[in-house]
Amino acid sequence: MSFRSLSAASALGMTFLAGACGGVDQGARSLAGLPQFCQEVLPRVDAYLSQFEHPSGERYGGTAVIGSIGEMPEGMNALVSSDYTSSQHQSFVNLMTLVDFDPSFQPRPYLAESWEFDQEAHELTFRLRDDVFWHDGTPTTAYDVEFTYLRVTDPETAFPNGAFWTHYVPGRDGVVVVDSLTVRFSVAPHAEFMDPWRTVGIMPVHLLRDIPSPELRQHPYGTRCPVGNGPFVFESHQVDAAWSFVRNPAFPKGLGGPPYLDRYVYRIIPEQTTLLTELLTENIDYLVAPGPDQTPQIEAARMLELRAFPFRSYDLVGWNARRPHLSDARVRQAITLGLNRAEIVQAIRQGYGEVANAGVPPFHWAFLEGIRDSLSYDPTRAAGLLEEAGWVDRDGDGVRENADGSRLEISVKYNLGNQQREDIAQIMQAQLRPLGIAITPQVVEWGTLLNQINTPENRDFDGVVIGWVTEFKIDDHDLFHSEAANQPFGWSGTRDPELDRLIDTLQMVVEREEALPLWRDFQHRLIEVQPYTYLYHLERLAGLNRRLQDVELDARGEWINIKDWWIPADLR
Amino acid sequence: MMTFLIRRLLSAIPLVLGIATIVFFLLSLAPGDAASFLISPNITPEVLEQIRANMGLDQPVHIRYLRWMSAMLRGDFGVSLTRNQPVLDIIAEILPNTLVLSLCAFLLAFAGGILIGVFQAVRHNRPTDGILSVVGLFFYSMPSFWLALMLILVFSLGARNLWGWPIWFPASGMTSVDYPFMSPGEQLRDRAMHLFLPSLSLALVLAAGIARYVRGSMLEVIRQDYIRTARSKGLSEFKVIFKHALRNGLIPVATLFGLYLPFLFSGAVLIETVFAWPGMGRLVVDAIFQRDYPVVMAGTFVFAIMVVAGNLIADVLYAVVDPRIRYE
Repeated sequence: MSFRSLSAASALGMTFLAGACGGVDQGARSLAGLPQFCQEVLPRVDAYLSQFEHPSGERYGGTAVIGSIGEMPEGMNALVSSDYTSSQHQSFVNLMTLVDFDPSFQPRPYLAESWEFDQEAHELTFRLRDDVFWHDGTPTTAYDVEFTYLRVTDPETAFPNGAFWTHYVPGRDGVVVVDSLTVRFSVAPHAEFMDPWRTVGIMPVHLLRDIPSPELRQHPYGTRCPVGNGPFVFESHQVDAAWSFVRNPAFPKGLGGPPYLDRYVYRIIPEQTTLLTELLTENIDYLVAPGPDQTPQIEAARMLELRAFPFRSYDLVGWNARRPHLSDARVRQAITLGLNRAEIVQAIRQGYGEVANAGVPPFHWAFLEGIRDSLSYDPTRAAGLLEEAGWVDRDGDGVRENADGSRLEISVKYNLGNQQREDIAQIMQAQLRPLGIAITPQVVEWGTLLNQINTPENRDFDGVVIGWVTEFKIDDHDLFHSEAANQPFGWSGTRDPELDRLIDTLQMVVEREEALPLWRDFQHRLIEVQPYTYLYHLERLAGLNRRLQDVELDARGEWINIKDWWIPADLR
Repeated sequence: MMTFLIRRLLSAIPLVLGIATIVFFLLSLAPGDAASFLISPNITPEVLEQIRANMGLDQPVHIRYLRWMSAMLRGDFGVSLTRNQPVLDIIAEILPNTLVLSLCAFLLAFAGGILIGVFQAVRHNRPTDGILSVVGLFFYSMPSFWLALMLILVFSLGARNLWGWPIWFPASGMTSVDYPFMSPGEQLRDRAMHLFLPSLSLALVLAAGIARYVRGSMLEVIRQDYIRTARSKGLSEFKVIFKHALRNGLIPVATLFGLYLPFLFSGAVLIETVFAWPGMGRLVVDAIFQRDYPVVMAGTFVFAIMVVAGNLIADVLYAVVDPRIRYE
């Protein structure tokens, strides 16, 4: 009896506690505790959008839930944003970019209905749509574009992707508002000059004009009360838990009209096993980037679909060519030849990837088909190169030495908690041992590792297993140009006049046909210099519930057509 | 008693400030800073330097410390360098989540642990005592994150997808995505369902330890003369155990209370990660890895206060369970 009473009491206590924190309705727009800025703007959003009828029809309705491991730290603030997920939400969910890319990666109209590039006059002119409104009812105009440009080129803003604007004239001299829907930029002709406008979401001047540039990063607009003009309206954000958005009923009909989904929720679940469980139990509809080891479970589930698509990222081993035993390109080439990278793709990525020889991804127009088989696994050639470079096993202990008796011992660092990179380092150790190269895998905490590889005065590493995500506009200046050798990302310390010339020239060639031979030379030269052992281009994975219809996935990202996603009525 | 409490609270102030100072300088010794995590070929060195300046990281460590300390004494914990929100706002949002989880786990652990410990003491050397001891040791020696994953596989994935149980528990989060559209009753149920697995994961490990302490303590108590006297007076076994023996048997549990309370705020990080529970432990550990020192400092401050409060509560509980203890 007493045992039962106590259990009942504890259950009651639990219920009480559960209720204690249930006071705030998550969905209702509660302004309590929000900064003054948010208390002013959010009611305006609600008042404006309440005028619109929500569309009805077979496809309209339902909530889609995406689960991913990471928070969006900069939220919807495109002026300070650097992470992929935030950028995707800005471009396709809450904000609008001037243009977006079609499936063949060509720019097409979005917020801008047309554009014109005058090469002679160095002028790029955009004409904006006249039917796009911010979610508080203010029209989106050329002044918003001008404001965005002025802020991203203002050094005090510290816009992370500053390299976008290398060939644009920064500040007021670089932009003119011709009329309320026309804006003109001064820009030197250069490769992929439209690419920044695919990425940078246009921001509202009427809300942010008075905010000093250095304060933009921490302004509540980004994470507490963003007011966009895209297909989804910000609803709420719980730190480390979720972002939710609702349909923008005023989204222009000319761009397809309001999205089909009523709501879209982005949930942050930091543990991969839990994420998979939530997908399998249908608590989330879409698992972003499951691990290759999780694919069998997704494929086995009747209601789920596994999708793989080429992506803009690649994994690599970066070599510190300042170290004496790695300074000879033949040694670096031998290491790459001695690695069975096809086997690594199979073992680490379960085949979801393609062996890489340069940073240009296979779907990119500049990709060179002819280099697919370069530096394929060839231990005999690798041994020959090492001998040619003077590395021979002189004492018969299985490790090569040079004429000075220095052993070919190389440490390969990777970040703590990254199982794939740990496996890569260990496979390297096993595969290169027969060649007489002694690899020592070394795990380092992520922040410490970045410090060790990025600090020009330090560079405390031989090799590092790491990855890059590229844009469609590929610019390896900060990786391999001589000018970058003493900059943070000049890990290899490469100083090669031919690479410098190609990097400099490639950035200024506007026509792709003209650039192609240069890209071919660049990729061939990269194979010769071998600053990295490129491992593979990733195929990104997605676990999808079949109830979510018409989801397009490709190198442009995961959210590219979220406004077209829909859920059949009987599955909502 | 009141004088004692005030004296203890006052003496805690330099302690908390001292802890905060040590943590600040230890953190500054760690390589890298919050800006160094922004890695992209598009980020030029000049931009990185400007980001550092905007974050205030371009100042020498002693200047940053003095600024932080003077702001903190005015109640301003600064702005998170990675989450771009005022730290106090983040903590105001996150701390209640941790409190709910911790208090539920605490209640479950102490209620369960005390009852099992008493039961084992009463059934000393019988098969049930042995079985419970083995089971207790099993949970006590189990890493909490592993237990959490097992609970998810059984009570969430298995219960729903494999065995079709009528009740299964959500594997993550504090509420369902449809929570705003639920009735108050459904909202309450939804919260309790989400709370169940994380609090059970925390509580099982703690309860196993508490049960061992209570068992040992009760075994000592029930052999004493006054218990024999109570029985000889003809009192029921229930009254003997719960009215006379348990009060003395709980004295070591008061110590555990003081020890476990801060652990629950800082040590729940793995449980918070596994169950995607947005809590203090996860917040602070992420902040340490990201070198987000304003969040780490504020978190340290909260944890230090919890340690002091836990010890203070334990001292008060000593006096409650043991009338011989009087504080001057």
